Amino acid sequence: MKKILQLTLGIITSVGGFLEIGSVVTAVQAGAAFGYQLLWAILLGTVCLIFLVEMSGRLSAVSKHTIVDAMRERFGFPFFSIVTLGIVIVAFMVLVAELGGIGLSLQILTGIGFPWWAIPISLVVWLLMWKGTFSLIENVGSLLGLVTISFVVAAVELNPDWSSAAHGLLPTASGDQKAKYGFIAVSILGASISPYLMYFYSSGAIEGEWDETYLAMNRIISGFGMSFGGLLSMAVLICAALALQPRGIDVDKFEQVALLMTTALPKWGFFLFAASMLFACLGAALEISLAISYFFAQGFGWNWSEDLSPSRDARFAFTYTIIILLAAVPLLFGVDPIKVTMMSMALTSATLPLAIVPFLFLMNDPIYLGKHRNGWISNSVVAIIILISFVLAVISIPLEIMGG
Amino acid sequence: MHLVRDVLDKKLLDREDEEMGRVDGLVMQVSERSQPRITHIEIGGSTLGARLHPVFERLARRMARVWGPKRHEPVRIAWSHVKSAGKEIRLDVEAKDTGAVAWEIWIARHIIERIPGSGNEEIDDADQY
Amino acid sequence: MRTKRLLALSIVLIAACKSPTPDEQMDSIQSWLATAGLVGEAWLRHTTPDTYSRQTLELSHETLLQISSDLLKSPPLPLDSTTLDSVLTRSRGHIDQMARLIEARDVPDFARQLDSLRADQKTVHALADSLKPKQ
Repeated sequence: MKKILQLTLGIITSVGGFLEIGSVVTAVQAGAAFGYQLLWAILLGTVCLIFLVEMSGRLSAVSKHTIVDAMRERFGFPFFSIVTLGIVIVAFMVLVAELGGIGLSLQILTGIGFPWWAIPISLVVWLLMWKGTFSLIENVGSLLGLVTISFVVAAVELNPDWSSAAHGLLPTASGDQKAKYGFIAVSILGASISPYLMYFYSSGAIEGEWDETYLAMNRIISGFGMSFGGLLSMAVLICAALALQPRGIDVDKFEQVALLMTTALPKWGFFLFAASMLFACLGAALEISLAISYFFAQGFGWNWSEDLSPSRDARFAFTYTIIILLAAVPLLFGVDPIKVTMMSMALTSATLPLAIVPFLFLMNDPIYLGKHRNGWISNSVVAIIILISFVLAVISIPLEIMGG
Repeated sequence: MHLVRDVLDKKLLDREDEEMGRVDGLVMQVSERSQPRITHIEIGGSTLGARLHPVFERLARRMARVWGPKRHEPVRIAWSHVKSAGKEIRLDVEAKDTGAVAWEIWIARHIIERIPGSGNEEIDDADQY
Repeated sequence: MRTKRLLALSIVLIAACKSPTPDEQMDSIQSWLATAGLVGEAWLRHTTPDTYSRQTLELSHETLLQISSDLLKSPPLPLDSTTLDSVLTRSRGHIDQMARLIEARDVPDFARQLDSLRADQKTVHALADSLKPKQ
């Protein structure tokens, strides 16, 4: 029974991790600018993520260490500190974007500008972490996150040409606008393959006291959970391809994204969109704050656990408190969350090797995994996809900057 | 025992199996007459800083003198206290006697417990360690 | 020394950030005209709330103003700038009116403005096509 309930870990990791402002904005931009042509990027990202998340769970269940524990112990503090710096900086930017996403959702619902929401939102996020337990965050997040199924409903309502859509699952070189195509592809990959997801999932496995008997469940969770997220992203892209592209609407601002479901679901589309964004970004904000704090706490050997009250893991609690407060600051100054989103997604892609290469080493280490080490398929799939992301990022990001 | 692989950066557990940080550094005694041997485990920000660059070590020392449980030296635990070394290093001392958790207690008392809902009503922090 | 070089490189890179081409600006303009149109339709069908609809129309108006002035300031375009300027001014006027009519909840006038906007959209589209290289 407990194992079945663990399925919720997969769903929230997916909804909060996969479907958040990054994946929505990139999918909408892709659909609006290129129709179905970038579905392959979402597929590639999802496949890679399924492998990575499964590995994260396997590492923790077998070695009883989190990824961060193992990274410091296996590679030593100096290397660990470089990886931490890179990952934390990018993750922090994504956190700012997520809080901004919550703010923008509230803005379109109430008319009150998102900078005004920055402080109330951080307080709520902080309170949930302060008083909540890991299971509370998991379960409530999963349930609320289910409202995002409305994207799938909307996509179906719009009556897509499914065979054209299927063609989008294979990469095609776009005609003109190559730089933009490449940049959006890179951003989709960065939005899908977010390292913070892995640290969150790995810590969740330790909180849930997983052992080798959980390995099969782990595969099911990562497979279904991440596929669910991937499906949602594809639905968003399809909605944009049908609702926005034919009208020539290219997406720059959140207000335009909000029109995604108004034609497909006239009565509720707008509100379902706002609610979906609100809950998905909230889930992501919680996950990222936790993931960053885990990096510090597990890396330095502090007590950490969402199930402990804050006075029992004081340094961990202090860390996430500071992080959430700092993340609100750019929003207070009116920094555009959409711009932060696009930048952080591309940067995630560019810094993926930093997170994934050491991780792959760990996954092949007999000390941590014994007979459960990676097979050649897992290694190859991940290595190839990360290489693709990195190369695309190195080419596209400068091109996009140059191209204005 | 391979020091770097088996000891350095590993988690430390005290007599009560409570976590008390990680092995941030090792102190060795080198003499002409005998083999070099480890005398102490070292824990602390300045020790970590030293492994990166002297600049970080100086910064960490300055911060440690000025903030929190003002310490002038990193925490050192004699090697003789090591009971076993496996996935974690087990010691036969209690964490609170070593100073290893001084920062945790300081932050708990001076910052966290001043915020409502921190759960400090339920425990006495001396009991935790 | 190294810092100075790094700084110089960053400045060069930032300066190299091209501003959008007239082609891209026309695409942006059409995108925002379409956005205003979609919001208009959505409001008429009661699928979007008043505040959001009004604010998005205002945002469209603002953005269009900015892009148009940038576009028309730049070196002479290979198209009829006078016509473009007047049609864009007119569309902005329609959008501005639509925003006000939401407050007044005047549906028939709103619908008329939306129709005029759609007509202007077609004109802009034709002008944009003339800018693109002939196939």
